[in-house]
Amino acid sequence: MQLIKISSLILLSIFFVFLGGVILDDNQSESVISGKTFPVFQQKTLDGKDISNKYFSDKTVLVNIWASWCITCLVEHPFLESLAEDINIVGINYKDDPKNASDWLAKHGNFFTVNIHDPQGNLAIDLGVTGAPESFLVVNGRIVSHIIGEMNQRKWEQYFAPNL
Amino acid sequence: MHLTFKIIVVALLMLPQLVFSQSQEFIFENEELESRFYALTNEIRCPKCTSGSIASSNAPIAEDLKRKVYEQILSGKTNDEIKAYIVDRYGEFADYRPSFDSWNLFLWLGPGFFLLIFGYLFFRQQN
Repeated sequence: MQLIKISSLILLSIFFVFLGGVILDDNQSESVISGKTFPVFQQKTLDGKDISNKYFSDKTVLVNIWASWCITCLVEHPFLESLAEDINIVGINYKDDPKNASDWLAKHGNFFTVNIHDPQGNLAIDLGVTGAPESFLVVNGRIVSHIIGEMNQRKWEQYFAPNL
Repeated sequence: MHLTFKIIVVALLMLPQLVFSQSQEFIFENEELESRFYALTNEIRCPKCTSGSIASSNAPIAEDLKRKVYEQILSGKTNDEIKAYIVDRYGEFADYRPSFDSWNLFLWLGPGFFLLIFGYLFFRQQN
């Protein structure tokens, strides 16, 4: 009888450990990059100007990883456009051809304050990016939120809006 | 028909060449560096994949991380430094050999702990 009681207790403990793991895994705002300062970088924008991490030091910015070859980026584009009325959105054009990227922006609309060209994905790796799209909320040079995948109303309200 | 057969034969003969040229993407000065590269890329989990190392994945991010590991090996970084670089960006999740610290204590000691308890209870029940 005692054996059954102790076994049940142990199995219950294991269950809660796994449950905790699943809940933590689902909470994308607990990204390993959240809380860190924006990585040091020196790159070009899509229109050929120099840009560095200093750009982020004194503003609140939504950073969006996108590419012209990314279907989901097209899906989230209208929602990001609606956000652009209230917040600066900086694009990181990820592993893309600059001509294709410019054509894509001309066709679908360019609400980005600036677009950093990241052809090799080096800046993206420093941000812990796994692909496109991904979004970050950067407040005064510090990353406060990070989501993987499509940005939408639910994710904005759950992970980004509370940190503004 | 005859021409089709020839085309298939030529394509099959070219296949090993294609595979060979892909495996030559990372060139090392010696075997030690090469074996370090393969050991490390097998120990780093592909962050985009459900399960699998960056060595076994051809996802774009896995290719990029292999390139980073390659560049860092050539620049003289140690295995620990390279792993720290990856873990700093993608978390302990990316390391197939997580460090032995207070956060991972349960992960490392948990199985042995439960084995001991169950063993103790089992033998106590038997007696």
